[in-house]
Amino acid sequence: MLSRVADALYWMSRYIERAEYLARLVDVNMQSILDLQAGEKESEYWKPLLYTFAEGDLISEARADLDTLDVGYFIALAKENPGSIRQCIALARENARSIRDQLSEGIFVELNSISLFLQSDEAERLWHRAPEELCRRVIRFSLVFQGLCDSTLPRNEGSHFIQMGKNLERADKTSRILDMLTYGDIEMPSVSHANVLRSCSALAAYRYEFRGRVSTDSVALFLLFSSRFPRSVRFCAEAINTSLHAISGHAHGHYSNEVERITGSLQGELSFSGLEAIQQTGLHDYIDRLQSRLNEIGQKLFETYILLPSAVKDVTVSQRERAEFFQYQQQQQQQ
Amino acid sequence: MAFEAYKKEDFFDEMFRAEDDVFPHYEKLRVRLDELSRSEMMERQRRLDHSFLEHGVTFTVYADGQGTERIFPFDLIPRVIPAAEWEMIERGLTQRITALNLFLHDIYHERQIVRDGKVPAEIVDSCEHYLPAMENVAVPGGIYIHICGTDLIRDHEGNYLVLEDNGRCPSGVSYVLANRQAMRRVFPRLYRRMGVRRIDHYPEELLRSLQFLSPRKQDDPVCVVLTPGIYNSAYFEHTFLAREMGIEIVEGKDLIVVDNVVHMRTTRGLVRVDVIYRRIDDDFIDPQFFRKDSLLGVPGLMNAYLHGNVALANAPGAGIADDKVMYYYVPDMIRYYLDQEPILGSVPTYLPAVEEDRQYILDNLDKLVVKAAGESGGYGMLMGPTSTRSARREFAERIKEDPRNFVAQPVISLSRHPTICGSRIEGRHIDFRPFVLSGDDVRIVPGGLTRVALKKGSLVVNSSQGGGSKDTWVLNE
Repeated sequence: MLSRVADALYWMSRYIERAEYLARLVDVNMQSILDLQAGEKESEYWKPLLYTFAEGDLISEARADLDTLDVGYFIALAKENPGSIRQCIALARENARSIRDQLSEGIFVELNSISLFLQSDEAERLWHRAPEELCRRVIRFSLVFQGLCDSTLPRNEGSHFIQMGKNLERADKTSRILDMLTYGDIEMPSVSHANVLRSCSALAAYRYEFRGRVSTDSVALFLLFSSRFPRSVRFCAEAINTSLHAISGHAHGHYSNEVERITGSLQGELSFSGLEAIQQTGLHDYIDRLQSRLNEIGQKLFETYILLPSAVKDVTVSQRERAEFFQYQQQQQQQ
Repeated sequence: MAFEAYKKEDFFDEMFRAEDDVFPHYEKLRVRLDELSRSEMMERQRRLDHSFLEHGVTFTVYADGQGTERIFPFDLIPRVIPAAEWEMIERGLTQRITALNLFLHDIYHERQIVRDGKVPAEIVDSCEHYLPAMENVAVPGGIYIHICGTDLIRDHEGNYLVLEDNGRCPSGVSYVLANRQAMRRVFPRLYRRMGVRRIDHYPEELLRSLQFLSPRKQDDPVCVVLTPGIYNSAYFEHTFLAREMGIEIVEGKDLIVVDNVVHMRTTRGLVRVDVIYRRIDDDFIDPQFFRKDSLLGVPGLMNAYLHGNVALANAPGAGIADDKVMYYYVPDMIRYYLDQEPILGSVPTYLPAVEEDRQYILDNLDKLVVKAAGESGGYGMLMGPTSTRSARREFAERIKEDPRNFVAQPVISLSRHPTICGSRIEGRHIDFRPFVLSGDDVRIVPGGLTRVALKKGSLVVNSSQGGGSKDTWVLNE
């Protein structure tokens, strides 16, 4: 498979997963605002979201006038936000367009439709009338996309790159959302356990496992280490590891390249860790370290499969060209 | 009811041979359209437009600084070509492409036709697309133009005339296939009743023509489509063809030349490429060889090609057959190489480079169409009858300065076809681009792109200038 194609499949899938998480967060938050008590300010509810998902100078500007900013709109559709749901879907579609030949017709049509919709005035109108409906449409699209990938794509390398994009994004977003429970430590309104779980589509599954008990520890255990819940970080790490070995053809428990090594080691750690690991450093620092390792996996994946096979890279690729490729990857991540 | 107010007027009409009288091959279509109410017809047209947009059957327009994607306007009323007419077109096109390929081979080798005084050497050497590097290069099968889009028009009497040959990177075939898929859904029963010939095997035929070129004789040569990328206006077509053929679509940066062999970069390392269907012009395919500023190309590609390690379709340097001055000589080429009379007519053409023609052109600028030899897409033209006096004066100067760079032709009134315009059906001018494939044999899929000038009275059918398209139905009988 062409390296560029693998890259585009991976990013298409990541952006769609990202859009789904954003849509669910906004939806969950809007629901909880309905329960606002007298004297509570709506903007307090939006602060953690903005803090978690918006980066860069633009956002510090946005944060400055938080009281008047419509944060939900900012995350969903605002043109000045390069990380909006609208933008994520547009980028997913841009990637898809460059590899249309690799996708089934159904996948492209669904992605194209939601993208056309989000660019239209109709989306603006829907947002003002029923914002939760817009969020649900995005979520539903993402689920349809996953279903189509599952039922119409051959299980070749390409589908593993799609899976890896999804799972890496999932691990990242789940851990970031979990981190919201620690915001009380930095004088930020912290988010309720139930909302964290809801934002990860995990509430029902969590209840089933822990019954009535709700505590930061048990939510952390569930979202980080559950071996059965498909959005836990551990579950995602296992899935990434499986995809990597399917691509390389190497047996599990061994590694043939750097990305397999660090993924395998992360998976092992998550499989055999418990509360003590979190307590050693505190939840926030634990998540911080986890995120840099997830970033490293993304980076090594790129170097192993996208940049150029190491055997030829030194002979054929000039330094400049390699720098350009890195730059390109950075751009993708930021957008 | 559909054709109630339709006026054929003083044009050759594809459907109406007289007011109120249709050609026999249009009879069933007329009956079917008459059954539809105006609103039913509009509804179908809307559904079609929506389906094209949703499927991303679009091209990119760069009018407003940022590219917007638009659908190529598509008209619901198909153009119908009866079997006998098609048979003549097919023979004519086969004859023409055969002569053009013989000509290109001759020009890049012995130049017999020049020595025999049929085509002047200075015309050949001054062609913008002439490529000295191709001299005495043996190309696979001796073929230069593997995919040709030949534009045909019909004159006032309904004769088919060749307007131009597009032997570089002709586009439009994806619309032919997409239009057909759409029409089969809109008029399924009519389509069956009329007995329309299939065209969906085009990608298969194209792949066969490409595989035929492979320098490595093995069962499954690696063929790729080389695209300038997603911002190119024809990108949809590139990806469509790659998917239909089941081959990779690559950009310049996906390819790398090592020891004069072309490879693509894959997740498993480098994979050798045998045949490249390139949709990038000569100038841009190799920055080491042609334009240094090209970011689209592949450094070293031309060397790999000249070493015979990879095949390119179409061959570099094939563009001289596109030159508008060369068009003048094609009938002579057919006589010279094939010893046959041309089956398809040409538009009468005057060359300013020829003494007696020049005076005639300058005296009759207000009646002629003047075209710059190297331009395409409807640019660099003077439409005599509608031009201003100062525009004519300017062209007269330019012609005198550089006679080699221009040709002049009388204004041909293109045939018209009933077309949906707003809520009415009116006559609009059309042309026709069939696609001719040359490999081990010449193959033409029965059909092509019928382009229609949607603006009233306009003769310009280009998509960038308000043109649309129709499905073209070639009948079994």
